[in-house]
Amino acid sequence: MSNERLETGEIGGLINVTIDGKTITARLGETLLETARRNGIYIPSLCYHEDLCVAGSCRLCIVEFEETGAIQTACTYPVTQSIRVLTGSPKVRQARRDILGLILRDHRAECTTCLRNGNCELQTLATEYGVTDLPFGKREKPKRKIFDMGPIARDMDKCIECFRCVRTCQELQDVGALGKIGRGDDTRMATFLNYNMLEVLCVGCGQCINRCPVGALTERDDIAKVWAAIEDPTKHVVIQTAPAPRAAIGECFGLPPGRCLTKELNTALKRIGFDKVFDTNFTADLTIMEEGTELLLRLKKALSDKQPVALPQLTSCSPGWIKFVEQSRPELLDHISTCKSPQQMFGTLIKTYYAEMNHLEPSDIVTVSLMPCTAKKFECERPEMGDSGFKDVDIVLTTREMARMIKQAGIDLPSLEKSEFDEPLGLGTGAGQIFGATGGVMEAAIRTAYEIVTGEEVPFEKLRVEPVRGMEGIRQAELPIVKAVDAWKFLEGATLKVMIAHGLANARVVIDKLAAGELADVHFIEIMACPGGCLGGGGQPIPTTPEVREARARAIYKEDEGMPIRKSHENPVITKIYEEFLTDGPCGQTSHKLLHTHYTARGSKIV
Amino acid sequence: MASITTNRIQEEIRAANGGDPVKGKAKLLVVLQRIQARFGTISPEAMQEVADALGIRPVEVEEVVSFYSFLSTEKKGKFTFRLCRTLSCDMSGKHRVAHQLESELGIRFGETTPDGMFTLETTNCMGMCDQGPAMMVNDRIFTHVTPEKVHQIVEECRRQFGEYGTGIVDFIPNTRKLGPILTGVSEPEAGLNKALAMSRSDAIGEIRAAFLRGRGGAGFPVATKWQLAAAAKGERKFVVCNADEGEPGTFKDRLLLLDFADNVMEGMTIAGYAIGAERGLIYLRGEYAFMKESLEETIRTRMEKGLLGESVLEKEFSFDIEVRMGAGAYVCGEETALIESLEGKRGEPRNRPPFPVNTGYLGCPTAVNNVETFVNAALILGKGAHWYKEYGTGKSTGTKLFSISGDCSMPGIYEFPMGITISEMLDEAGGEDAKAVQIGGASGQCVPASRFERIIAFEDAPPGGSIIVIGPDRDVLDVAENFLEFFCEESCGQCIPCRKGTNVLLEGVRLLKRGECSLEYLVKLRKLAGSMKAASKCGLGQSAPNAFMGILDHFQDEILGRKPQR
Repeated sequence: MSNERLETGEIGGLINVTIDGKTITARLGETLLETARRNGIYIPSLCYHEDLCVAGSCRLCIVEFEETGAIQTACTYPVTQSIRVLTGSPKVRQARRDILGLILRDHRAECTTCLRNGNCELQTLATEYGVTDLPFGKREKPKRKIFDMGPIARDMDKCIECFRCVRTCQELQDVGALGKIGRGDDTRMATFLNYNMLEVLCVGCGQCINRCPVGALTERDDIAKVWAAIEDPTKHVVIQTAPAPRAAIGECFGLPPGRCLTKELNTALKRIGFDKVFDTNFTADLTIMEEGTELLLRLKKALSDKQPVALPQLTSCSPGWIKFVEQSRPELLDHISTCKSPQQMFGTLIKTYYAEMNHLEPSDIVTVSLMPCTAKKFECERPEMGDSGFKDVDIVLTTREMARMIKQAGIDLPSLEKSEFDEPLGLGTGAGQIFGATGGVMEAAIRTAYEIVTGEEVPFEKLRVEPVRGMEGIRQAELPIVKAVDAWKFLEGATLKVMIAHGLANARVVIDKLAAGELADVHFIEIMACPGGCLGGGGQPIPTTPEVREARARAIYKEDEGMPIRKSHENPVITKIYEEFLTDGPCGQTSHKLLHTHYTARGSKIV
Repeated sequence: MASITTNRIQEEIRAANGGDPVKGKAKLLVVLQRIQARFGTISPEAMQEVADALGIRPVEVEEVVSFYSFLSTEKKGKFTFRLCRTLSCDMSGKHRVAHQLESELGIRFGETTPDGMFTLETTNCMGMCDQGPAMMVNDRIFTHVTPEKVHQIVEECRRQFGEYGTGIVDFIPNTRKLGPILTGVSEPEAGLNKALAMSRSDAIGEIRAAFLRGRGGAGFPVATKWQLAAAAKGERKFVVCNADEGEPGTFKDRLLLLDFADNVMEGMTIAGYAIGAERGLIYLRGEYAFMKESLEETIRTRMEKGLLGESVLEKEFSFDIEVRMGAGAYVCGEETALIESLEGKRGEPRNRPPFPVNTGYLGCPTAVNNVETFVNAALILGKGAHWYKEYGTGKSTGTKLFSISGDCSMPGIYEFPMGITISEMLDEAGGEDAKAVQIGGASGQCVPASRFERIIAFEDAPPGGSIIVIGPDRDVLDVAENFLEFFCEESCGQCIPCRKGTNVLLEGVRLLKRGECSLEYLVKLRKLAGSMKAASKCGLGQSAPNAFMGILDHFQDEILGRKPQR
């Protein structure tokens, strides 16, 4: 036991530590693994993930103390004194090889047919440590593959019990669908009494998939359905692509995070055989018109008409968040905007407006969407998502699935020439683009609503509404409205108060406060189920880490600034659609029928 | 679901917190133990109710239920038979009892009779190793069980229909050799009186002067631990008595908790005074549920006498003690796992550092000590460090209680001074012809006859309380197999070297028994055992390969070259 104690005042101080003979500077109180990684020293790990609390259970990151020969896991060891450690001593290397041998004894290594082949942490480590034979053989176990009906597939034979998924589900997302059940060798990740995922409060966010080091958790693979539609000559197959996948799909092709391949993707999708390639940004713009109007109407009701109305208004774009609130705080459903998500608005318009315009039978149209999100697979199957008279969105592909599809087609995405979206639903603005990042919906809404109310552009350089940007889990911002145009005079002198939360654990904090009546003075809250917003979605390339999310966010904001139109209400196609089709305007009758929805108070009872 | 059941579940939830609603996991284990006791099972509905009441998710409830052996999601019979499967009972004829139980009830282990009357299970060490084979029927303990006795017990259950009386036990203290602790040389409460008359640091100083080292197995200097806890910053501090005596072959705390409970609590109170804690917790293993009542009676008496409660001995120092139950998990004897369990969670050892003296129960500075350590602490304060050091060797002071079982004619509890040789000990216990002794239980070490001149002291063979005598006809591979089965069941399942390594070693022992293990593979297993010692997260995993390594080191001739049993 160490007598040294770290005083609170010392945290943040610096201290020298020696790793493999090299002396480097550590920050007092950080873990040895953090010190090493910050200084470019590699220590292998498996149960560790930057987004999660430390488990210290795989024991791969062990290091040996030079003086004492003691072993400690780098991920758990706080640096509080000057130490000398070895990261690859004989004892350490032997233990790592043995640990990998133990894991491989139980892991069903079907590498060639595994979705994670080439992107598997276990595979990489086994190669690294030269575990070319199976030192402890292979243990035959009955197949435990579980076919869930939801968007997430589990293959328990591949699970290596690192419990990153459980920590994700319980701590990062505060959902609690997955747990660590049993004891000893029988300890396993499971749902409550092995119920189906969708029955046990799973919101389908897919964050567990993003943190699975192997192929135990994957999205339900819907590629075959898309190929079948494309190959069916009677079908008109339309795809919409969301901004977040476009900012990340390059990672599946070996590019570093942070490069948008929007226009290369257009070319690839057309080559694959989609009849039309549209931009979800378009319905993101439409969402801003609808949701912004809804907010202004709620404000009018509250401030001018003095009538009871649910405020703050909460955003509705993130289907994982929607299911989360339906389960955990059904009494707050009135606060949620009735707007469908951009994906679902798109689906409805394709099978109504677009079908009419192009004289197509809606039943012959297959709408596909490329999303960063596994929960979207659940969303499109909600029974109420059929306002067109048909299933509005037929198939949802995640970024990872799309990358596989493109590879199956023999296409090298990064080297493709660029091409544009198809008309007319291919025109989106920069405001729609930033929906992909946390705070983006809020920023887009502010760009539009502020201008509607004041008649002036938002008072931020290059339209960058900085106060709502960033990666802090819960953010709050205020925007004073000094002067208002006549129609919104009641807002003059008011201060618009907004909040942003991403990641469901943060969302929980916000809705608990809301339920306790602490947020009565807030007007509008954006909530995204996934850390970082859609760019960190459960369908995005693996790994997704804080640095990767930052890079994707930069790419999205950069693309916004390069776009000719950056405010939703200035999108000419939006203007056109309100003139031609949604003729009674935002939140009018047609809109309400087609673009708005309702929610289900699910509650949290499983049995 | 019937609302009557719901109401009953709700009753138990409230009762767990003295009638008040409670949120969070802190009382989860207590709630579940009450529900298990009342319904004989924890149903899906009950888990949902508990989750709703505590504001957690059902799967978090199942996580805890599925961790502890004494909690079950399956409906058990009216009478649950739990036969001890650990080594000492194994040596004293458990197999015949097991066969008779299966014949008598017409079911296999792990099953329940179709009429819902009987469930048959094995359990790990219940602390009756000197009187095996031992068996629990619900909370009642039977010792020296024979096949004939099995029939009687089953018949008695059948006749009774109702609940078996709890707290009725059938065993003898079996104290064989008395020393200063067991004869009670110190005046009652002399230690507490003297301690409270001193400053806190002087009280710790007395313990330091006596060189008292922890009696739980690791032998950490007690004064250092208390000093660290005393110096640690925290609004509240705790003293925890580790009464999770689960090491196979250990039963000395059974005696201390029943007959010397006052001394244990005196020691805890002294510790509370020394570190500045106002609250003590006794974590009592589930198998010792029958002692709970008497311990609580002792607490009440001490309250009345002013030895506990506000202003202990009319000094400006308050201290109270609560008994909390374990639920059948050996790993909870590891102090950080014990703390997790006290907090209502799965008993998974924590990462260290931080250590419990800084961040323990509920994140507060906590001193966790063994039952026997507290008794020694009270004795030291009562009689003085100088007197105490007359016992033992220079480096290992005092006396030590030993639980001796296995192949010897006089199993039982012995108090010897530190530094006794193994052969002296075997002479006393009637195990002279032993070929080896296992010191410190399943996690201890195996000493062969050629090394019986070794002394039992911190500087030589570490003084674990458990001594299992291995007779000349005993197959050492049976011993290793029994221990490894034990670890496979009792590993918390958290870290890979332990949860999977124990299983590989067990399989290796079985290969050796069948004569199918190559020397090359044995070398791999030896290396694996080393890796487990080095890389496992807690003491359980680090010591799980000990028995295996000991047999490899000392009995190579015996284990290699066996005739293949094909």
